[in-house]
Amino acid sequence: MDAEIYLDNNSFIHRLDPRVKIIIFLLTFVAILLFQNPLWMLPITVLIIAQLIISGALVNLRRIRYILIVLTVSSMILWNLFSTGETQLFWRISVESMSFAIARTLLMILMISAGMILITSTRNEELVNGMIRLGMPYRVGFAISTALRLVPTIVSSTITISQAQRSRGLDLESGNLLQRIKKFLPLLVPVFLSTIRNTNIFGMALESKGFGAKEERTFYLVFEMGRADYLVLVFSIVFMLVSIYFAILGFGQIEGLIRF
Amino acid sequence: MGEPVVSIRDLQYRYRGQKTFALDGVNLTLDRGEFLMLMGPSEAGKSTLAATVNGLIPHFHIGKLSGEVIVMGRDTKAYTVAQMAEIVGMVFQDFEAQLFSTNVELEIAFGPENFAVPREEIKIRIDENLKYVGLEANRNRPPSTLSGGQKQKLAIASVLALKPEVLVMDEPTTDLDPISKMGVFEITHRLCKRDDLSLLMVEHETEEALFADRIALIKDGHLIKVGPTREILSDVDLLESLGVMPLGIPKFFKAVHVPDLPLTPDEGVEAFGTLNLKINDQAYQQMIAEDQIALKVHHSPLIECKHLSHTYKGDVKALKDVSMEIHRGEMVAIIGQNGSGKTTLAKHFNGLLMPTAGEVNVNGKPTVDQGIFTLGQSVGYVFQNPDHQIFSEKVFDEVAFSPRLRNFSEDDVKRCVAEALEAVGLTGQGEEDPFTLTKSGRQRVAVAAVLASNPDVLILDEPTTGLDYREQRSMMNMVKKLNENGSTIIFITHHMWVVAEYAKRAFVMKDGDILLEGTTREVFSQGDVLRDAFLRPPHFVEFSYRLGYTFLTPEEMIACLEGVHD
Repeated sequence: MDAEIYLDNNSFIHRLDPRVKIIIFLLTFVAILLFQNPLWMLPITVLIIAQLIISGALVNLRRIRYILIVLTVSSMILWNLFSTGETQLFWRISVESMSFAIARTLLMILMISAGMILITSTRNEELVNGMIRLGMPYRVGFAISTALRLVPTIVSSTITISQAQRSRGLDLESGNLLQRIKKFLPLLVPVFLSTIRNTNIFGMALESKGFGAKEERTFYLVFEMGRADYLVLVFSIVFMLVSIYFAILGFGQIEGLIRF
Repeated sequence: MGEPVVSIRDLQYRYRGQKTFALDGVNLTLDRGEFLMLMGPSEAGKSTLAATVNGLIPHFHIGKLSGEVIVMGRDTKAYTVAQMAEIVGMVFQDFEAQLFSTNVELEIAFGPENFAVPREEIKIRIDENLKYVGLEANRNRPPSTLSGGQKQKLAIASVLALKPEVLVMDEPTTDLDPISKMGVFEITHRLCKRDDLSLLMVEHETEEALFADRIALIKDGHLIKVGPTREILSDVDLLESLGVMPLGIPKFFKAVHVPDLPLTPDEGVEAFGTLNLKINDQAYQQMIAEDQIALKVHHSPLIECKHLSHTYKGDVKALKDVSMEIHRGEMVAIIGQNGSGKTTLAKHFNGLLMPTAGEVNVNGKPTVDQGIFTLGQSVGYVFQNPDHQIFSEKVFDEVAFSPRLRNFSEDDVKRCVAEALEAVGLTGQGEEDPFTLTKSGRQRVAVAAVLASNPDVLILDEPTTGLDYREQRSMMNMVKKLNENGSTIIFITHHMWVVAEYAKRAFVMKDGDILLEGTTREVFSQGDVLRDAFLRPPHFVEFSYRLGYTFLTPEEMIACLEGVHD
């Protein structure tokens, strides 16, 4: 069972300098937050979809589709409940609250997608290395990469453990929500314990290979910004500046929206 | 020889919160270029001692330490583990947890990077070490896609890249299948020839100890005996009493009272000739006939696979048209490399997996119609790692989990649990916390938990992995007893001697197909086919081939020996 998030696709996005990818990721976040109106979010949405397709990150989104569906549904409901507007659509839902809910949902999905693109197309080391070169302390960067590394380990041990418990007669498929949550308990304990045990060995192995032995360290990975990197970077910054310009001019807001 | 590379003096160590000393008064030296093997039962202090050499003790595992460990003039107390990493490399048993890069090259680069080795030099070291362990072809792959054996080889390479003076390996092959074990041992055989590297290895495989210069036996934190390999391995009784597996060949020759015990198959064959020993052919034929008779007792089919195939998502053909039968009351072993389809096959017996083609019948009904919940009542499955299933705070609750799920009355639950605990030898320990038990104790809890629902069939996936020789024996004796009391037993194992001594029938799997099946003796008599499946019969069986027979244990051979009676 492959539980790795990084996909070795060697796409155009994979080949970009990790620093550029991190910067794009941050810029994307700002761009997503600029507008309230879903129509104004379309350009960035198109860009993100293009990146999803190029990098192959759609596969990873598929893996978390259930989470995405739950998020979408609950966010659509909540934002409709917590805002209103002048033009009534049906029942308590107005056109304004509807488009606001769509925008907020889109925002969430886009942020997740942007993150997914980054970790699908960037190796752990590249990511950390990129962050460090952008000024983050090495240890902090390493901690982030370790956290990312834990995800696949936990997923694969969860699969084995659920098989072991099902063999003992645990039926995970039936019952109401509460009963089901209760049934997951026999899975959680071994998952946690085996994760803790693993991280303990991980820590030992880390120190045994000289982690933090010296103040300075070499980085085997080196990046050089190529032409593509500069082009992408310039494009992103221009896109960003244009977006900010329109936002300052007051475009992209929803007229008549009342938030509680 | 000069100064020893490692010198341990009056070492005493106690883990925090423990009352007893994990190490007590240990004195040991390791010379330059020497290969020292550390052997002993579980919980003897082997790993603890290994961890003192690079300073994981006392820096990582906090506890009370007295005495000193000096490596190349550095007192481990005064240096951090990371600083020691330059001179002491450490390879752990768990091959998953000690790798943390997403790419093979970077994994090797990690150590040198930490010591600010120039980039050009790192490049050279990566090439050198990948070549040394034979992973050049995988240099750009993520370590998570490597096999267990390859991961362990990578771990060794990543440590060697630091150019250490001492390499400590803590049970590097315990979790590996036979072919991967051989691969790792092949590397250690080359390492031990190097005179610039001293090797300290903790290992359970006694046959591998033959390559060591010296062996240190440890128990309860005390060094029992340290001496040249020949001397230690000839002391069959001492090894047995310590719970370390003795070699079959010296064991056999000891029984016929030979002063200088042969150790290897070569020496054995020679000694057999010079001593003029002979096998009584009539007794041998009698023994083979008895094998057949024992099989015929069990004939009602319990599990039948008909043209079973299983293809995993992504087109991985794990089983290809397998047809086999297991009879009620049998004790059979399934052996083969990782990835040969053993576990996939066994998971079809209890409905964890369903055939993608063909059919599996249990008790005469197809598994597809029964489903895992129903099947689980008649077919129990003990997973390889007990820590994957234990979650209760009390042994009793853990064992009661299945009966309770099946809505047994509380009285019945109590009865089932008591019976199951008795069967695994844990009577009276129902109130204990499973996590405070040893690995073998937890393994027993896992078996009891499956036994509690009274299954007809018990499938055990590597029940002896991670246990020491004595624990392996007692685990298998317990399983044998269950079999004698009527349970059908199917076990998957990598330990060939366990198959030789406990299975009545064996299936050898390779590439998703059954390569060989028959009585254990029939299977083991096909030495070449086994080797083709990368399974290596124990030295003793090998020795008997060379004499033209297939004996599974020294006892069998002694019983068939002409004119030798004690």
